Amino acid sequence: MIGSPDIVSSSALARRAERVSSFVDDQESRALVTVGVMVVSLLAALVGFLLVSPLTTLPFAVFIVSAGYGWLRFQGLTARMLTLAMTASTILILLLIVLFILVESIPVLVYESTTVLGVSVPGLRMFIQANWDAVSPPIRYSMVPMIHGTVMVTGIATAVAAPLGVAAALFLSEIAPSTVREVVKPGVEILAGIPSIVYGFIGFTILSPWAADQFRTTGQGSYLFVGIIVGLMALPTVVSVAEDALSSVPESMKSGSLAMGTTDWQTMTSITIPAAFSGVSAAVLLGVGRAIGETMAATVMLRGVPQLTKPLYNAFYGQATLTSLIANNYGEADGLQMDALFAAGVILFFTVLAISVGSQYIEWQMRRKLGGEG
Amino acid sequence: MAGDTRVSRRKFLVASGAIGAAGLAGCSGDSGNGGDGGSGDDSGSDGGSSGGSSLLNAEGSSTVYPISNTGSSYWNANAPPSDGEYWGSNDESTVPGWDELDTNQNLADYFASLYGFDPTEQRSEPPFPTTVSLSHSGTGCKAVRDELVDIGNSSGPITAELGLSDSEAEEQFVDHVVGRDGQPVVVSSDIYDAGVTQLTGEQVRGIYQDEITNWSEVGGPDQEIFVVGRAEGSGTDTSFRLNMLGSADASMSGVNSRFGQNQQVAEAVSNNDGAIAYMALAFTSGTVQPIGIEFEGTLYEPDKDAENTIFDSAYPLNRDLHMYTKITEDTPSGTGMREAAFLNMFLTTFGQQVFVEQNNYIPLPTTDIESEAAKLPEQV
Repeated sequence: MIGSPDIVSSSALARRAERVSSFVDDQESRALVTVGVMVVSLLAALVGFLLVSPLTTLPFAVFIVSAGYGWLRFQGLTARMLTLAMTASTILILLLIVLFILVESIPVLVYESTTVLGVSVPGLRMFIQANWDAVSPPIRYSMVPMIHGTVMVTGIATAVAAPLGVAAALFLSEIAPSTVREVVKPGVEILAGIPSIVYGFIGFTILSPWAADQFRTTGQGSYLFVGIIVGLMALPTVVSVAEDALSSVPESMKSGSLAMGTTDWQTMTSITIPAAFSGVSAAVLLGVGRAIGETMAATVMLRGVPQLTKPLYNAFYGQATLTSLIANNYGEADGLQMDALFAAGVILFFTVLAISVGSQYIEWQMRRKLGGEG
Repeated sequence: MAGDTRVSRRKFLVASGAIGAAGLAGCSGDSGNGGDGGSGDDSGSDGGSSGGSSLLNAEGSSTVYPISNTGSSYWNANAPPSDGEYWGSNDESTVPGWDELDTNQNLADYFASLYGFDPTEQRSEPPFPTTVSLSHSGTGCKAVRDELVDIGNSSGPITAELGLSDSEAEEQFVDHVVGRDGQPVVVSSDIYDAGVTQLTGEQVRGIYQDEITNWSEVGGPDQEIFVVGRAEGSGTDTSFRLNMLGSADASMSGVNSRFGQNQQVAEAVSNNDGAIAYMALAFTSGTVQPIGIEFEGTLYEPDKDAENTIFDSAYPLNRDLHMYTKITEDTPSGTGMREAAFLNMFLTTFGQQVFVEQNNYIPLPTTDIESEAAKLPEQV
């Protein structure tokens, strides 16, 4: 604190180096060699993989063999090394995926650039006009209809999942006897395991034709029913996470409130819900994240023609979402159309990333607020 | 006791490590074989059948799939000529076109031996196995281009699927046409029952280009038209634009809904009132009614016995069903012996009737069969 930051950090560095070298001194030299071989062969395998070399298997085989040997002789050190490698590869894979979809979407961003105040902005035209047509001129790859569709579906899904989910979580956590909770909560979580194509199938063959008939729309496919279905799919996530948040409110806070003579319901509304508010919001956000990324149900139930509905809030017609666009067209698309699908993937990725980071942040805040008192 | 378990766990680890390494070796070995496989079947083309046991794989369009897959299933079953139902003749039945073949060999044995493969004489054990994967025309064309498969199935020309010029495509691929697909225009049963059993080409164009939006404009009930199209840029979409709307990049602003697969189109048409769509002939049914189309004064009817039918080659929405093979250094003629043996099966009367016509596609006329057979290498 007193010394200049430079000195502090350099002495910290020196201490770190010292610790590493003393750690190295403590190890058997054969163990170090083994770990060294593992590191070098794994890096070589990575380089080979990136260069698409047929020789990649060779260093990887060396890695497997040295890891096997290390595991038998120096298990502790090898386990350290292996777990580190696994973590690093997870992050590396994520980075490579992000890099890949970004690079793949560059051509369409260039194609869809437009001039603003004399400066050419790549990709801007995808967002300022609403025309998508991949075949007949003028060929345009606007993302506006898909963003509109995604917002509609997500909005309706949230309107379904949030009230139902939070109410169910409140009941399970605060009102229901513990036996009911122990049966119902795992049951709700099992709901999350129903494959989305099952929902989509029911939606396509039964719900959508029925809705088209009832609302007298031209043919089937509406954002309203896709939203409802996706909302039901997000429900288990919301219930489960919100229930966790509500039950993590310390018993002492509730008891304190009850001791003041409030009723159960007053305690819930004035103590439990405000205290768990951020956690409940995180639950809703996670549900929304699921709704945005939902593909199968949206693909089979929507019309697959990228255009805006008229008027914009018309939820009785359903055109396309970002995910359904990709799922509908990946097989037939080539050239710029394929790159446009990657661009849709980029938009999806960053949206879901923001939501997931947001909910993590909220959860962290909640833990900090309540953790000390628990 | 605890020591024992640890030892046994170690043994297990050693063993699994060894298996893992063996697996890896197997992997690399396989990929090596895959590479050799390419040249292996070319050594087959030199007359030997040594490399012939490797798998022949095809991939692509859902429209060509029924033909290709039925062919592959028959091939892999390698039925003996005494079977009668699938191959050959017996007291009860005879396969179509048998008088032309009349052999005492099993099915795959017969067709493979025409190109120099040794017969196995075993049911369910063809000289080389075949497999067909279901995807899309574009995927199939890309797969054959990248040499991931031996045969790429496509319902549209490869020039359109891969964006090649005619000469580029000719340099790289051989186009084997195995049958034709009639693209009937279909309507939902409520419209058919209300009396719309035929439309003119101009009316269909108007409907798909948003000029006609109500069935009452074409003599039907007062009902909005639910216009169903196919996935943008798919083989079916491209050929419909080309043959019905005038050009491959014609606008289709009237389309309300697009689906990727024939099955989905059929489902949507039967579930919704007032629907119109176009799709492969094989998927029509009582609730998905094909209608007659009048082009330039000629009415093509969806009835096999009519004077002009949608099964005729002259019907403008008919299109060729392709199985593409790639020209490589080892197969300058473009078609290896395995591919030729398999494709030749479709170019017989037997193949046309069993694989093409029985799947509701249109068999090739004799002159086309002859010109297709001329693309195959010489029989041994």
